[in-house]
Amino acid sequence: MSDREISKSGVTRRGALAGGIATAAAASLPAAIPALAQGTGPIRIGSTLALTGPLAQTGILHKIVGDIFIDQANKSGGLLGRKVEWVLLDDQSKPDVTRTLYERLLTVDKVDLLIGPYATGSILSAMGVAQRYNKILVHHTFGIPSLAKYDMHIPAWPIGFNPEKTVTNRVMDMLGNKVKTVAVVTSKFPSVHFLTVGARPVFKERGIQEVLFLEFEFGAKDFGPIAARVKDANPDLLFMGAIGLEGNQLLEALEKLNWTPRNHFYTYPTPGPLALSPMGKDALSFTAYEDLPPLNKAPGAAEFGKLFTDAAKAANNPYPFVETQTAASYSAWQILFHAAKETNSLDDRKMADFLKKNGAPTIIGKVRFDGPNNYGEDMMRIKQVQNQKWVIVYPDEFKTPGSQLIIK
Amino acid sequence: MGAQTARLRRDWSPYAIAIAFIGFALLPAFKPPAFVESFLYLLFFWIALATSWAIFSGFTGYVSFGHGAFYGAGVYTLANVASHYSFWWGLIAAGLVSATLGVAIAAIVFRTRLRGELFALLTLALAIVLATIILNTPVDGGPGLYLIGVSLPNFYGSPASTLYLLIMCVGMMSLATAWFVQQSKLGRGLFAISDDEDVAEILGVPTYAYKLIACGISSALAGIAGGIHAVFVNYVTVSGTFNLEVPLFVLLMSVLGGARSWIGPAIGAVFITLLNNLFVSGDYALLIRIGIGLTLVLTTLYMPEGIVGLFHTSWRRKALPLTGSQTPSGHADAPLAASIAPARQYQPTGETLVRLEDISLAFKGVRALDGVNMEVRKGEILGLVGPNGSGKSTLINVMSGFYKPDGGRIFLSGENITALSGHLVARNGIARTFQIPRPFGRMSVLDNVIVAAMFGSEQLPERAARERAMHYLGFVGLDTRAHALPSDLNLHQRKFLELARALASGAKLVMLDEVLAGLTPSEITSAIAMVRRIHSADTTIVFVEHNMRAVMELTHRLVVINQGKVIAEGDPRKVMQDAAVVAAYLGTSDAED
Amino acid sequence: MISATLLGQSVLSGFFAGCLYALLGLGLTLTWRYLKVINLAHFAFVLIAAYLTFQLVGKNGLNPLLVAVILIPVFFLAGVAQQALIEHYKVNEFASIILTFGFAMIAEAGLQWIWSADYQKLEAHYMRGSLQVAGLFLPISDIVMSLVAISLCVMVWAAMRYTWLGKALRASLDNPGIAAAFGVPNRKLSYLVAGASGASTAIGGIFVALLSTLAPSQIFSWLGVVFAAALLGGLGSPIGILAAGILLGVSEHVTMAITAPSWAPVVPFTLLMVILLLWPERI
Repeated sequence: MSDREISKSGVTRRGALAGGIATAAAASLPAAIPALAQGTGPIRIGSTLALTGPLAQTGILHKIVGDIFIDQANKSGGLLGRKVEWVLLDDQSKPDVTRTLYERLLTVDKVDLLIGPYATGSILSAMGVAQRYNKILVHHTFGIPSLAKYDMHIPAWPIGFNPEKTVTNRVMDMLGNKVKTVAVVTSKFPSVHFLTVGARPVFKERGIQEVLFLEFEFGAKDFGPIAARVKDANPDLLFMGAIGLEGNQLLEALEKLNWTPRNHFYTYPTPGPLALSPMGKDALSFTAYEDLPPLNKAPGAAEFGKLFTDAAKAANNPYPFVETQTAASYSAWQILFHAAKETNSLDDRKMADFLKKNGAPTIIGKVRFDGPNNYGEDMMRIKQVQNQKWVIVYPDEFKTPGSQLIIK
Repeated sequence: MGAQTARLRRDWSPYAIAIAFIGFALLPAFKPPAFVESFLYLLFFWIALATSWAIFSGFTGYVSFGHGAFYGAGVYTLANVASHYSFWWGLIAAGLVSATLGVAIAAIVFRTRLRGELFALLTLALAIVLATIILNTPVDGGPGLYLIGVSLPNFYGSPASTLYLLIMCVGMMSLATAWFVQQSKLGRGLFAISDDEDVAEILGVPTYAYKLIACGISSALAGIAGGIHAVFVNYVTVSGTFNLEVPLFVLLMSVLGGARSWIGPAIGAVFITLLNNLFVSGDYALLIRIGIGLTLVLTTLYMPEGIVGLFHTSWRRKALPLTGSQTPSGHADAPLAASIAPARQYQPTGETLVRLEDISLAFKGVRALDGVNMEVRKGEILGLVGPNGSGKSTLINVMSGFYKPDGGRIFLSGENITALSGHLVARNGIARTFQIPRPFGRMSVLDNVIVAAMFGSEQLPERAARERAMHYLGFVGLDTRAHALPSDLNLHQRKFLELARALASGAKLVMLDEVLAGLTPSEITSAIAMVRRIHSADTTIVFVEHNMRAVMELTHRLVVINQGKVIAEGDPRKVMQDAAVVAAYLGTSDAED
Repeated sequence: MISATLLGQSVLSGFFAGCLYALLGLGLTLTWRYLKVINLAHFAFVLIAAYLTFQLVGKNGLNPLLVAVILIPVFFLAGVAQQALIEHYKVNEFASIILTFGFAMIAEAGLQWIWSADYQKLEAHYMRGSLQVAGLFLPISDIVMSLVAISLCVMVWAAMRYTWLGKALRASLDNPGIAAAFGVPNRKLSYLVAGASGASTAIGGIFVALLSTLAPSQIFSWLGVVFAAALLGGLGSPIGILAAGILLGVSEHVTMAITAPSWAPVVPFTLLMVILLLWPERI
């Protein structure tokens, strides 16, 4: 990570060793430290992120975003007149560690507020802790809405309660009646699998013939036989439940068979490599936000886009542009701060009730939390790779100027 | 290794475990911050997993990459059962399913004599196959299982305290089990298996059953820990359960702490869990990982035997008498005169102790034994000679139950023992030594002999076995070296250690496979005297030897085999003049020495 | 129902995958058998080489062949250095797991530091496209990789079969003291094996970069199958690991073609268990 980035912000900079010792000390003297927290000292917000381990590629993005937001907040006077400090711990991509660390944040570090970690398992772990301590939990990108049952969880990523239906329908509305056959190929990564398996009945209802349905193990390295079967099935639409680079891997395997999908959709692709790959041409995916007009005309969006690009470049990140993950991450912070400001308090119950009643403005748009399991409407837009860049092609009001949906 | 060191001093371990258990059980009453409980939860979780792994893999030396499978079976059993029945049923089922899986796998795997690394491979494959099955069947199916509506028992009024107490119990139970196993006969058997499985079997250790029991205990504990952990994480997925973390970490922790000690894996678990969970500052995530990696590297370089090994080495240095005698003490130096006359005090009774009928055995088409008929009479010293490769050692191996003959029958005191496995043959009173001594390398000389006494024909309890072992160590003149490791002995002493083991087993029949080979002339003289003294203690002896002087001096009867067949038998002097025997030996000069 | 081309194509891709397993495991199996080092850092070496290739080919535009010329000696020396450390401190077989795991951990963090945790993919023009033979597609990159893997395995096998090397290694393994008395340079020999193993990771890494995606957390993603191939093929056997790798790869890929790809690991690993249980002495 880039230290230049961190030093600008007010993020807590407790050293590794000092952190450990402080923890041990605090554990043995539970009442000694935290009295400060309620007074005029900084407001402490705690979270963990997958900064190392298999989910680190996304965890790191959330860290960059959080650092930017805290820095901006402190420059503009903090929150409720107090400085803000982010107590960030590394959960190593492990849900059990996440649980322990959230308990540490609440009972040892005595943070005032929580914000979510990254990835389904860890978010559920954190939600469990938040529930036991009656804390509001705003989280960034949670993929399986039906699992989030805590009444004070606030999902910043607006995918609606039934994304498997709403997103699929939006894609099919967009593609129109040119698509008659679909091949569904999905990774067995839980949030991905949930989405693609839920999409199958939608295809059926719409009279689209499913010519192939394949599930593969998350982490699969060889896509040769899958590619051969996709080619054999020759679908109008390849609908792939992919996370990370699985889409790229399948496309490369298809390239070796001299076959290119006509229309192809990917659930959670890593944006950079898919856009840059020659085979990624015309690839579709869904997104809440891209750093493109008209979306980046939202208040604060352009500034955040610039800051993020600089920070991500400094951290050697290969795709230094705001997209759905990072936008959701930023809006999570916006939502949390909005609730605190509007209620003029750090009372978890008040903040949650306010948000559920009123929603919150974010760079993604106005997000609501009044539906089932606190989910509001599905605000997902469809993006497509054109000229090695992602552009938004649907719905029309969010369409990137100059772009035109390509359907084959 | 910890076993004997601990026993010589006062063993405080069970009290320590009990006090620690009470202390940790009372902890929630002091209302510590939830993080403390939650952190201790992870600590005991890893203690349970690492310790349970070591009960099988550490003690027997069969490295398992499948601990994740037993753990994962527990996770998924609880996740499925608890939501339909109750938490306790789920937990019981988790333990049972994992134990069944462990025992079943061990039962199948150890039917064949599988080398250690192939066992490792098999367990690796098992974990992958199990994960794939769970991923593709309704046990999970892909989306993961969210444990909602599993009601926990309630201790101290908080779920966090309850989970902590549950896993603490499992962790402590694992520790207590590991301590108990290590101190018990089972543990001695497992350590013997780890050092030399074949020898363990021949000395009477029921290796197959012991491996099954240990694997069952190990997997049951892992399954129970997994069951509790399913509730702890609340949302279980295949990739989160069956990843490399569990199999790799239990191995790292055990090796780091010391896998052959009951406390070692727990020390390793505490060490690694502390590193992983106290140093978690988000700003220095990468530096911390590098630091942990470096710590592992440096720990290995400076503590190659594990953290526990560090204490052991220093203790052993202090405890060992630096002035151990190089040769066996006076007992063995029986008057030379006695060795000149053949052992004639034996009065033939004609009673048959062992009878071989038509024994045949072939290896890949080569007939090593071809219709061997012979008998060993009670009280005699029977010489078994023949040129190199004639089948003498194979015959010993068959008689001790190490090889099963292709055809023929073996009777011991009239009872058919052909089909008995090696450890049962040993219990029936047949013992042997090895031509090249095969002591248990990581046990002290004394412990080597204790194993024989405990598992031999009399199945002595530990205290008696210890006395018996000291007696025979005195008999062979190794009593001053009782606490040395076999590697500290010279060849002569190691051969005598073999003898002491065979004698301590209380065998009716002792088969000596070339005890004299490689000894100096003066050592040979003392060895011959030793054999004679063994015989005078009413033991029947089969004496396999190339040294014809010793054979002629010692034996009452001689059996000569060549190319897997008995070619002559009877009075030693007459047999050696037999034409066939002379022919068989022509050209083989080693017959003279 | 399943077409012949699909089956043929799957057998082919399984064959290529198997060759990659052998390429990645060749050094591992040699050091495991002859040096008694279970080298988890082997996989870290592969990934470091892959990232260097990604950097040098993808960013700096060097030719992969030139990269090979640079990386092979560097990784040879790295292998020797690690072995020197292991010998100096007399690290035993099991402790070597912790030691090399420590190295792998450092490597993972280091890779993340330099190239970020995000997935990277080398988009190079080298070895793209496929040959078409009898209705089957043979990707050029896979062919080259397989040829390299096969020739390396055969070369190592031949060196051990027909030169003093094999005998010396076995003698050194059985009894270093006696081997030394007969003039076997034990230490140099162990450095040679460790160095060769290191050099093989450089070659493996170059192909991983060309054929696959990169993320620091992927260090151990080949561990299971490569361990399986090494053990199934018989530790220390270059031809064995090649045969075992291809057996695993082909059975896995054919399963993927016939049934749900997510069942793929069941077939090769069940097969492996059956082989182990029925013919344990063959391995």
